[in-house]
Amino acid sequence: MKNMLSVRKILGLTLVLAMFTGLLSGCGETGKDKNTFTFATWAAGTELEEFQAIIDKVNAEANGEYKIEVLSIPSDYYVKISTKIAAKNCPDFFWMTQELISKYAQMGALADISQQFQNSQVLTPDLYYEGVIASAMYNGSYWGLPWIANPLIVYYNKDMFEELGVAMPEPEDDWTWEEFLDVCRAFSGKQYNGNTVYGTVVDGWPNIETFIWAGGGDIIAADGQTILLGDEAAQKGMGYLHTIVKENLSPRYAEVASLGDNNVWFEKQRVAMYFGGMQDNFETKVAAMNAEEQFEIGYAPMPMCDDGGAWSFDWTASTVMAKSLEGNELAYRALEAVTQAFFEWKIAPPVKGSLDNIVEINPRKEGAMDTIAYTMEYARSANYIPEWSDINDKLWYNLYVSLLNDADFDYKGKMNEIQQYSEELVSKRK
Amino acid sequence: MSQKRQRAGFYFILPWLIGLCLFTALPMVAAVYISMTDWDIVGNAEFVGLGNYITLFQEEEFIRSLWVTVRYAVIAVPLIIATSLTIAVLVSKNHKGTGVFRVIYYMPAIVSGVAVAIVFKWILDPSYGLLNGILAFFRIQGPDWLYDPDWVLPSYLIMAVWGAGGGLLTYLAALKDIPEDLYGAAMIDGANTLQKVRYITVPLMTPIIFYNLVLGIIGAFRKFTDAYVLGGAGKEGNFYMVYLYEEAFGHYRMGYATALAWVLFVIILLLTFVVNWTKKYWVYSE
Amino acid sequence: MGRVRLVLWYIVVTLGAVIMLLPFAWMISTSFKAESEIFTVPIRWLPSRITLQNYVKALDVVPIFKCMLNTLIIAIPKIVGEVFVSALVAFGFARFDFKGRNTMFMIMLATMMLPYEVTMIPTFMVWSGLGFSDSYVPLVLPAFCGSASFIFFLRMYFETVPRDYEEAAWIDGARNLTVFRTVFLPLAKPALVTICLWSFMGTWNDLLGQLIYIDSQEKYTIQLALASFSSMTGETLWGPLMAASFMALIPVIALLLYAQKYFMEGVKMGGIKG
Repeated sequence: MKNMLSVRKILGLTLVLAMFTGLLSGCGETGKDKNTFTFATWAAGTELEEFQAIIDKVNAEANGEYKIEVLSIPSDYYVKISTKIAAKNCPDFFWMTQELISKYAQMGALADISQQFQNSQVLTPDLYYEGVIASAMYNGSYWGLPWIANPLIVYYNKDMFEELGVAMPEPEDDWTWEEFLDVCRAFSGKQYNGNTVYGTVVDGWPNIETFIWAGGGDIIAADGQTILLGDEAAQKGMGYLHTIVKENLSPRYAEVASLGDNNVWFEKQRVAMYFGGMQDNFETKVAAMNAEEQFEIGYAPMPMCDDGGAWSFDWTASTVMAKSLEGNELAYRALEAVTQAFFEWKIAPPVKGSLDNIVEINPRKEGAMDTIAYTMEYARSANYIPEWSDINDKLWYNLYVSLLNDADFDYKGKMNEIQQYSEELVSKRK
Repeated sequence: MSQKRQRAGFYFILPWLIGLCLFTALPMVAAVYISMTDWDIVGNAEFVGLGNYITLFQEEEFIRSLWVTVRYAVIAVPLIIATSLTIAVLVSKNHKGTGVFRVIYYMPAIVSGVAVAIVFKWILDPSYGLLNGILAFFRIQGPDWLYDPDWVLPSYLIMAVWGAGGGLLTYLAALKDIPEDLYGAAMIDGANTLQKVRYITVPLMTPIIFYNLVLGIIGAFRKFTDAYVLGGAGKEGNFYMVYLYEEAFGHYRMGYATALAWVLFVIILLLTFVVNWTKKYWVYSE
Repeated sequence: MGRVRLVLWYIVVTLGAVIMLLPFAWMISTSFKAESEIFTVPIRWLPSRITLQNYVKALDVVPIFKCMLNTLIIAIPKIVGEVFVSALVAFGFARFDFKGRNTMFMIMLATMMLPYEVTMIPTFMVWSGLGFSDSYVPLVLPAFCGSASFIFFLRMYFETVPRDYEEAAWIDGARNLTVFRTVFLPLAKPALVTICLWSFMGTWNDLLGQLIYIDSQEKYTIQLALASFSSMTGETLWGPLMAASFMALIPVIALLLYAQKYFMEGVKMGGIKG
């Protein structure tokens, strides 16, 4: 072929291109200032724009004392975080979900901020809700500043309750799990808007913690050592889940995904009640619907557990600091300032006395405020330990899913088995 | 050819050799070491010798995920090759619109695994999915697919067949190289289409089938993305790589996961040796 | 081919094509749906009213075209490197009988068998140590040493070229590179086009590699852009995600349509031989 480039020309071109890409991306880091901090976030897209605006504001208020730069990780967040830590390229600040804090603390990736936190003039542990701040604690130290809380409440469809003649729960109702199941039974198999409806939807959500607490039990004791799965109370709690499956109070497990996510069952008016985080914005979604699809939303707290508390599972994420910055006063000030700025961003702020922020963040939550105020007192996370990912795997695959698929599954026997497995794991902790 | 000329071949493979030393060898050597530690990615690593390899063979999940993967590979690899070869023969003829058909059959290969997984979640949905909708049309009650342990494997096989067009390009490129006069000669001898395929097309395609067989084995054993997104009831969708990934990044046991990777490496390598050994019996070469 | 068989052929091929296209049809249809119509029971195949709001929203959330351009900046040098160098190396493996050839070929195959997930972090550590963080270099540079699967494919291809075909050139006293250029490259055109496409799609669809090496948003690629439509505290924007996925697919389909005609131009080696 005559028009083909000569091999030498191609080789030359190849080399030039390779160098070109090298130049284009610049080589390596530019020297970073000591008062510049990188903040890694999983926020992406629209959420990232909001995040950036908050950081810009914090930077402006810092008056040049420090500067925070944003690093967005839109996917596989912890893969990138851990890879960066391994390469000694750890972001200075980053978000961390409650289940992983003990793990990362144990692996030595996080700065212990107890000293600065307890002595702070601005944000101290006692300003937080007790159940929420516990999620940033492990081994007696604080490893992060919670910036968001999202405890569960019960959302319900007022129109459906009315139409089918079922008594509605109060915004601060002290209903028990038995009473909750009775309400579910009242809906089971009934027709509404031409569809068969259910009391609620359970498909792995709400999480297993919710059910185990329901019986007054727990998974791991506060000492971070003792496993409680074999206890009568924990097993009684799983019994409530067993009843839901056995009596078909929720759509079948295989059926739930057909609508996309479990919350769609509530939005499409196929279930009467839904366990949702305070942050869920059903109000906005319903407002955006066509008039004939809209319905009125009611709110109730979580049913009271057998130990008398209306425990509400809370998902909290914290802002944490790289180990290398332990004791760095400037870095801690920046961490504190940025965490406080988040309190005005998402529902619900994890600190006491900030309930008014919720209505400012989302005015449509007005109607839920009584329930929210009541629930915040009972919001808590489980006692997560470094072995949690393994224990949780067993709880999910070997217990929860098995029970969802087969109502006659011997869940008590399985819980005893996982109890033993977990005890062994904990005993091997370094 | 002279010795000297033969040696010139070495210079041709030199760029790859440089790449091997610069970019591949170091991480691989590192991986050997990592597999003998308890490295958790974030913290420090402690040398544990062959501990990970000993643990691994006692893990129930290792055996199970390997079994899930082997079972899939044994059925999927030949199935994919047969399907994509059939498609290639079908669209190799130059009729009007063939070009468009080629592109359509190849399309499953151009989307990323995550997108395929999301779409199949809908297609395989037990209640309202497309597949069960079609079955219902024929008055057949469809299974629960990914939610029924017995139907997880068939679900993944359906996805594999759907994506079989991915091998199309290689087969088409090879089909185009089959001399027309061979078919002409066969026609004179009175061969029918099937005979032509059996005695001309397939033998001349064997090098490319061999290539796809080796890559198919590697691909099947390293199946990950769609399985990771979709899972499957009763851990039946827990393919080997999903297990490995979870161990590495879900439980932060990079040392153990790397040992898993080396076991996988050895399995694939042995299979490749076997396939390579059979090469001389069935692969056509000039 | 008889008329009846031609009609039969069209029926079979069209049926298969419909099956292949269904998921894409669903994706495209969803991208034009209003939010309330995306998850309905039973599935709604066509939007009741076509809306462009998902496209507007998608372009608003991430600069998709800029991200596509960024991906091209990675993809183009990668194609040049990967395809050309792989051809050179494959030629070496296919047509010379130097010492250790088979061993090295097995080593090359072996490099494809170790999962990337476990070498990813050590590799990242090396690049990071060399100062290449937030850079395209680690994504592009290795391409200039060829790609194992491409080399494997091309070697297979080169091996089927009749010996006597090149022998003539060598007897004429042509140099190795000349033989490579005048005999093998033109012969392998369909195969080269094939791996060009693979190389391009490899870059276009790679998420994990790009995610690890790229930090700043100005450098985001198309897959990172697509990943931005869902997050842990935000909601997945299904409509805009489908719209963006469709937009990301258009360049690939266009390229494929353009490239497919090269498969019909394959040089008939046997024809020359006989």
